[in-house]
Amino acid sequence: MAPSVKVLQNARERRQPLGFSLGAYLRSMDWILLLATLSLVTYGLLMLYSATHADTNISTPFFYVRSQGIGLVIGFAFLMMISVINYKRVSRWRTYIYAFTLLLLVLTLVPHIGAGNSTVGANRWIDLRVTRLQTSELAKLLLIISLAAVLAEGTALRHRLRFVIICVVYLLVPTALVFLQPDLGTALVFGAILICMLVVWGIRLPHLGALAGVSLFAAVLALRILPALGIQVLKDYQLQRLTIFLDPERDPTGAGYQLTQSKIAIGSGMFTGKGYLDGTQTHLNFLPEHHTDFIFAVVGEELGFMGGILLIGLFAVVVWRAFRIARLSDDMYGRLIATGIAGMLVFEVFVNIGMTIGIMPVTGIPLPFMSFGSSSLVVNLMAIGILESIHVHSVAGQTR
Amino acid sequence: MILEPIRKKRSTEDDSFIGMRIGVLLIVTFVLFGVIAFRLWYMQVLSGDTYVKVAKDNRIREVKVEAPRGVIYDRNGKILVENRAGLDVGLLPMDMYDPKKAPEQFTAEIDGLAKVLNLDSSELMAAYTKAKKDPYVTYVVKEDVAENPTVAYIKEHSELFKGIQVENSYLRQYPFGAFATHLLGYVGEASQNDLDQEQFSTLTPGATLGKDGVERKYDSFLRGTDGYKTVEVDAAGRPKRVVEDFAPTPGSNLWLTISSDLQQAAENALVEGIQLAQANGAAGGAVVAMDPNNGEILAMASFPDYDPSLWVGGMASVKYKELTAPQAHFPLYDRVIDGLYPAGSTFKPFVATAALAAGVITPETTFDCKGSYKAYFQTWKDWEAKGHGTVNLLQAIAESCDVYFYNVGNLLYSQSGPVLQDGVRKFGFGQTTGIDLPGETTGSRVPDKYWKLEVGKTAEDKKWKPGDEINLAIGQGDLLVTPMQMVVALSAIANGGTLWVPHLGWLITDASGNRIHQFESEKRGELGISLDILDIVRQGMLGVTSEGGTAYGAFKNFPIAVAGKTGTAQKLPEKDYALFMGYAPADKPEIAVVAIIEQGGHGSSVAAPVVRRVLEAYFHTGSSSIIIPTTE
Repeated sequence: MAPSVKVLQNARERRQPLGFSLGAYLRSMDWILLLATLSLVTYGLLMLYSATHADTNISTPFFYVRSQGIGLVIGFAFLMMISVINYKRVSRWRTYIYAFTLLLLVLTLVPHIGAGNSTVGANRWIDLRVTRLQTSELAKLLLIISLAAVLAEGTALRHRLRFVIICVVYLLVPTALVFLQPDLGTALVFGAILICMLVVWGIRLPHLGALAGVSLFAAVLALRILPALGIQVLKDYQLQRLTIFLDPERDPTGAGYQLTQSKIAIGSGMFTGKGYLDGTQTHLNFLPEHHTDFIFAVVGEELGFMGGILLIGLFAVVVWRAFRIARLSDDMYGRLIATGIAGMLVFEVFVNIGMTIGIMPVTGIPLPFMSFGSSSLVVNLMAIGILESIHVHSVAGQTR
Repeated sequence: MILEPIRKKRSTEDDSFIGMRIGVLLIVTFVLFGVIAFRLWYMQVLSGDTYVKVAKDNRIREVKVEAPRGVIYDRNGKILVENRAGLDVGLLPMDMYDPKKAPEQFTAEIDGLAKVLNLDSSELMAAYTKAKKDPYVTYVVKEDVAENPTVAYIKEHSELFKGIQVENSYLRQYPFGAFATHLLGYVGEASQNDLDQEQFSTLTPGATLGKDGVERKYDSFLRGTDGYKTVEVDAAGRPKRVVEDFAPTPGSNLWLTISSDLQQAAENALVEGIQLAQANGAAGGAVVAMDPNNGEILAMASFPDYDPSLWVGGMASVKYKELTAPQAHFPLYDRVIDGLYPAGSTFKPFVATAALAAGVITPETTFDCKGSYKAYFQTWKDWEAKGHGTVNLLQAIAESCDVYFYNVGNLLYSQSGPVLQDGVRKFGFGQTTGIDLPGETTGSRVPDKYWKLEVGKTAEDKKWKPGDEINLAIGQGDLLVTPMQMVVALSAIANGGTLWVPHLGWLITDASGNRIHQFESEKRGELGISLDILDIVRQGMLGVTSEGGTAYGAFKNFPIAVAGKTGTAQKLPEKDYALFMGYAPADKPEIAVVAIIEQGGHGSSVAAPVVRRVLEAYFHTGSSSIIIPTTE
């Protein structure tokens, strides 16, 4: 019998010297993931330029693009650095990472340190002098890493409800802190991450059922029972934003305005779009926040159905690679991290695009890699870096 | 930082369902992305057209560019009606404050605007409700608004007056003020009633159209085609660029058969005539002059009149009340075509024609006049109490002998069939003249037995009696004629028997002055009466202005021979109406004129001088003041 491909590969690997080999590193990267990510950020920059170049209150048409570009460079540097680090070594720092995350989130809530949109009384950032850090963005990633470590270590305990509850509470504390900012969207992202990771971890079905039941009860409690008792869990504007998508015509010039205009923008793009830089809804300012949360509306208007499908396709590739990395990872830790990142991206993409096309509530979740905002961009690129690290250190060998 | 050797065996921590678990998440992912894709397909491909339209409505504003209305000239090219630039203020509801979202600002806006424009807040609210039906279109609430200070104030307070639009418009201007008011008519905003009419079926609510007079009759020529601009605006309503620009087509110009000099003379003469009889209670009257050879109206005046510019920008309701009050003597109403009068003695030439044509009398037939006529146990008085003696037809017309015509009436009564009625109807009495003006009255009447049968209440009343025919023979009783009918009938006598359709429209020229249409004179019919008969009547009418005639005094020293007839019509309980009709030159008529002064008294002393003044103006034989004759 002739030597199999696998045997030949093993032979090649045996010749590898110990220590860092650039060639081996590059060979073991997930290039499809990297290319898809690069395509997404490029797409994002192009759309950001279209959305903002005609703004009258900026000094140069490239104002936003330049700012986002700086984020891109920093994010890519992080991506490459992280991909070199062996993720497995991070696991032991889980408690410090978790504590650091809580510290960040608490600091954000402290007046004079945290800052944000004063008009709605929300604290979202910590001012780092050179830039503003949107702490909840970073917290997502840090929590994925630390929660994955906790879960991976407790694999043997997965039949124990008490352990499951500990894990839920573990995530619930930072979730509550984010909710207090208030940043409902990110709090929901935390929840989505937890569910995905628990599923892959191997949570027992009854436990998952119980968790779903409790979540549902909590939602009903927050939205119906407590307000009826006079305790406002959500602020009025949050509730308004959450429910307006069901019937934007209820208030077409107020709360429903943005949604209505977004749908008009996307629908009027038709199959091929109005053409790059030619979106009327965007450039005549009918659509507010077209460079942040509603960037997809610009895609839909200017590039039409084709542009929208291309974008979803790119996201699908990234998510597919993430789940593939999760499946092929040789340890539970890598598997859980990859799942958490994949779940985070899927949830954000679905909720954000769903919002612009009127099937999901307005929660203020940005579109990964596309929406304007350096924190989000850098953190998402770091996430891709982590995926690459898992690929390099745990998957690459198995696929050869 | 060092790449570790890769472990190849699966971790023991895993359960065997790991691939399935990740597979479930992957499937969920693709289902979610699939939902988005289908939703996009639905929005962008299946219902994209709807959204395209909404997006267009969002950004495209259509601005109407009003077409200037055609100018109206007299037959000599003098401008009677022209345009001037004006400013309109209107509401654009979609840019205004929302009454639900910003009730305070909205109320402040409406109240503020009402104050500035001098309107009622409730009036403005009603306009807003109407405007709201088409929120992307400006709804004009006030025309002809002063630039200073009103428009300037609105523009300065743009925050308060959000969505309040100021538009350029054309407004009618009348260089001579209250002149030819009734025949010109006026323009105004289309009412629902107007829009229901075939003539205006292409117009939209809010359009400006002719409401009366030639403005209405020739509206389709005078009204141009509005142009429009489509402008792209941003979310704040600021115009960004012009997308389309269709220039308006100006309306065509209308030339009338009126001569403004003659019109002025007619109006002046009418006023003078009324002033003459003011002591008698005269307050209204009409004069109309026509070319008997083709039906062209040369002048037509109705008094009292008013300044048509009152209608510009909408007449104030106070003013309208003033004009319609009884003590104003109904200036809105055109007595030439709407005034119904007893013809009185001016009817005699027509009665004579009918009697001659029927063979009831000959020119030689004489009757003895002793100042009254007795028959059927009744007495009819002659205006001349001492009587005219034995008179033939010519004398009877010239001296306006009533007794002669009482006899004629009695003879006509004994004929079989309505000989008198048929005879005078040939002249057009009892029917509309068909003049090119809207609103000619249909109330004119030549009474006969059928009419009596219809209106009579008692059996006695329903009978057509000899007295009715005798009264009709001198133009009294239940006869009702309009000045326009009289001038058309008079012209038929003058021109040898042709009944013309009177008309004011003469030419249509385009904006650069090219003749694009000429209105032809239209014949309504021929009298079918021999010229011999007409000649006799004409001779009698010439006698009216000759020595011994009733209008001799009024036309004394007038260089051109005038054939005419005086009339003093009874219209109880009012004072007598003064009438005169005449044409000149008597042998080759060029102009026929009818004048009526309500409660003017004697035709010979009040109405005849008015006609003389008109003829003087026509033949340029002016005298310095109106001649007041002393005899009837």
